[in-house]
Amino acid sequence: MSLVLSKLDKTYKRFGRPPVRAVCGLDLEVRQGEAVALLGSSGCGKTSTLRMIAGFESLSGGAITLAGRRIDPLPPARRGVAMAFEGYALYPPLTVAENIGFALHTTRAERRKASERVRAVAEMLDIGAILHRRPASLSGGQQQRASLARALVRDADLHLLDEPMSQLEPQLRAVLRGRVKAYLGERGFTTVFVTHDQTEAHALADRIAVMEAGVLEQFGSPDELRDRPKNLFVATFFGEPPMNALVGRVKEGAMEIEGGDGRRFSIALPAAATAPEGARLVLGVRPQRIRLGAGALSGTVLSNQWLGDQAHVALACGALRIVAVSLARVAAPSGTALPFAIAPEDMHLFDPESGTALSHRGSCP
Amino acid sequence: MPEPVIRVLRGGALALILLFFLFPILWILLMSFQTNADILRIPPRLGFTPTLSNYVALLSGKLATSSGTLDITFLRNLGNSLLLSVASVAASLVLGVPAAYAFARYRFRLGESIAFTLLSFRFAPPLLVLLPLSLYFQILGLTNTYGGLIWVYQLITLPLILWIVRGYFEDASPDIEHAYRVDGHSWWRTFTRIAIPLARPGIAAAGLLAFIFAWNNFVFALVLASADKQPVTVGALAFVTAAGIQYGQIAAAIVLSILPTLALALYAQRWLVEGLSLGAVKG
Amino acid sequence: MSGLEISDIRARFGHAEVLRGIDCRVAAGETVVLFGPSGAGKTTLLRAIAGVEPAASGVVRIDGREVQDLEPEHRPLGMAFQNFSLYPHLSAYENIASPLRARRLRSQEIEVRVRRVAELLRIGHVLGHIPRELSNGQKQRTALARALVAEPPVLLLDDPLRNVDAKLRYEMRLELPPLLRKTGAAVIFVTQDFREAMALADRVVVLREGAVLQDAPAEEVYEAPASVPVAQLFGDPPMNLLSAHLVPEGNRVRAEAAGMAPSFADLDITHLERPFLGVRPEDVLLASRPAGGAHAEILAVTPLHDRCVLLLRAADGTELVASVTGAAPEPGTFVSIAGARHAVLFDPVNGHRLAISGARTEVAA
Repeated sequence: MSLVLSKLDKTYKRFGRPPVRAVCGLDLEVRQGEAVALLGSSGCGKTSTLRMIAGFESLSGGAITLAGRRIDPLPPARRGVAMAFEGYALYPPLTVAENIGFALHTTRAERRKASERVRAVAEMLDIGAILHRRPASLSGGQQQRASLARALVRDADLHLLDEPMSQLEPQLRAVLRGRVKAYLGERGFTTVFVTHDQTEAHALADRIAVMEAGVLEQFGSPDELRDRPKNLFVATFFGEPPMNALVGRVKEGAMEIEGGDGRRFSIALPAAATAPEGARLVLGVRPQRIRLGAGALSGTVLSNQWLGDQAHVALACGALRIVAVSLARVAAPSGTALPFAIAPEDMHLFDPESGTALSHRGSCP
Repeated sequence: MPEPVIRVLRGGALALILLFFLFPILWILLMSFQTNADILRIPPRLGFTPTLSNYVALLSGKLATSSGTLDITFLRNLGNSLLLSVASVAASLVLGVPAAYAFARYRFRLGESIAFTLLSFRFAPPLLVLLPLSLYFQILGLTNTYGGLIWVYQLITLPLILWIVRGYFEDASPDIEHAYRVDGHSWWRTFTRIAIPLARPGIAAAGLLAFIFAWNNFVFALVLASADKQPVTVGALAFVTAAGIQYGQIAAAIVLSILPTLALALYAQRWLVEGLSLGAVKG
Repeated sequence: MSGLEISDIRARFGHAEVLRGIDCRVAAGETVVLFGPSGAGKTTLLRAIAGVEPAASGVVRIDGREVQDLEPEHRPLGMAFQNFSLYPHLSAYENIASPLRARRLRSQEIEVRVRRVAELLRIGHVLGHIPRELSNGQKQRTALARALVAEPPVLLLDDPLRNVDAKLRYEMRLELPPLLRKTGAAVIFVTQDFREAMALADRVVVLREGAVLQDAPAEEVYEAPASVPVAQLFGDPPMNLLSAHLVPEGNRVRAEAAGMAPSFADLDITHLERPFLGVRPEDVLLASRPAGGAHAEILAVTPLHDRCVLLLRAADGTELVASVTGAAPEPGTFVSIAGARHAVLFDPVNGHRLAISGARTEVAA
């Protein structure tokens, strides 16, 4: 079942204060069987959007279509949607098993099958052992998994998950994310989920919709967002550590960057990047792509932190700071000079005024 | 159902409810501008010529009736109400706010029991304690003294302040006070500079509520005070005269009586809406 | 000794022992990261040191002087709380100035010191605002400024970066170490993010259920976790823990699990049955062409920034997690598990570390 949001608008009127436009003209299409993440910082409109799809918020404008029919005039119960809430919303007097199986309307004959399904989903989320307990006796992480199980056990046209794994104990996250992703794929569920955690979005979604201040900044696969960000916001939002963004001017086929203390250095631009002489540009390069140890550029090491499986090195080039990530240790203590290079195929160029991307890795976006 | 129909129905329902609650006040307001003759007319007439004679009588202290002129001590009663209510609430705040803080912040034996006992004073009907109380008052020489009345009024005002302000202190995160202590300030400074200012909305709300309850109290003042110390609630009885019940003046007296509390409630709305913490603590 | 010394700190809430006798020393100028899951007792420990935890007992020494019987206002320390705990009715300036006012400094002196620390943390321009008008990042830095301004010998920072957005959090990870070092204070920094711990720590103290599991430099905690719980907590995705068969080989022993068979020296295997083999996801060596070795099915592929986390099912049925860089394989395909670059063996009964195999010492640049 595909979901189409067209020109979705939501404005909150507040008493005595100016109204807030939470969602502005959002156009989004989710294909059947696809998992889409709404990603953004708090206040970007992602939760409002989810609640409008579910039917808990009215639309200020636009339409929502699911499997070809308009669902925005319908009350939540008639939309064919299964939802996992941020606050879990488990029914306190029922056991976990009863909570999970609540919406599986069952006849006597189907009851055993339903309880098998409940057990299977619970085992997948590692809560098989606590099916007989009541929500009040569970930890936050366990309650969240029960809430998630309740949404996933249902066959619905659309599954909506609001911050589904935010409270999960860190040591379970990697395995459970993998299992949930496999489960969604096997069942062919169309899923939309909301998160502020990039890692979670990366892990679970086929495509990610990055939102900021009610506007959809970019909608694409994790690879697309990483390799071809549409603008500076998406480019620096994604990635840990965030992308390095250096401002400079084009001079004879190279980027001349002010070091801030009178120093300048040139970085050769890719040949295909057509930028007029003298134009101001922002050069973006991901920390993982900076080649340390050799190159035409040089910086002073500000910090060199080994984080278990990778090294994060912060270099100072005059007043600029560049962060590089290496998967092997870097033998350069603070204060030493370290040469580095940025290859043209790792460069992203952006317009400094509008932030729009001009070229990625040597070719146009 | 289409949207405009729902809106009209909703508006109609609201109007009906408002009318139901406000009607007595509106009627009293109207009555206060009518002469006794107009009020008692049968059938009742909607139109009438308004008169200020009732208010004049109250404020000048002289009432002309068919059986002669009476002295009205309304203004004095108003003054008594004000004095008793303000003093009772003030005393309750001084006693109650630190007590509420102690209940909220410290766990001590019998804490809950003591707090509940204090609240239970609100449950007991005043008549239950009045007879023994009046005897004690006579023995102690407290009958017809402001001090005695203020003391008794604590039964009304103190439990309210205690419970409302305790709730506010409990809701406020103790971390802010801890941060102030760790900065180097003493317990007392933390209480006066941090705890109380942050509980201001709650203290104001509790104070207002306590003021209203103290103002409205009838029975304690009736039994334990005589004419010169009586508040307006008791003073209204004076309008039941030998010459008949002076409805007009009663209405005017009521209007003047509710004005202070009404004004206070409207003014204090702001405090109640403001809320605690103002974003200094995340979430 | 100068710095902070705590011994036998205990705390009890009702029947539950929240802290079970904690000992720790932090020298002046040293940063110790207190790491552990929620509920471990980290915040309780900091509150016990600060004197705002009435249920705590034990000895606390600051610069050699015993302070555990003193009221909080008489203990020379600065504290930054998880929820900022700023005074909502005072401006940022007054918030920061509070410790100086408590010490009865003159207004001119206060102004100089407040402005100095505000400039250092780049919040000089918002000093006139009240907390409600500040962004989360500004609130966090105001709370930090307040803790630093009186230059106390001991700093207690309770997960100050938790409620701050990812980008700023990363920036602070680079800026805090030199800042803290410059203060010369003994610093305890609480976090649940192991990379943050590795970036900031001189030493890491792993706390769980009120007890210290390991107290060692960060790298040692990562490479040689003292016990199974430490291995599970420190690292994301967490270390795989597989039940292994022991196969003696000369004077070494191989531990076989899921197709890996690292060898260990100096291991006494009498009475040792089925120990736990711990291998971090990045240490699982895979070969794409099944070379007649152990085949593992890829159950799910979850991208994680520049890497991919693979959920695998090995030939013997065990589930494990591997992380690879480069192209992401398809779920449903097979890979061959070639071995483990680095592995740790744990006792199956008490969970303690028994031996380590392999080395991770490649150095780039």
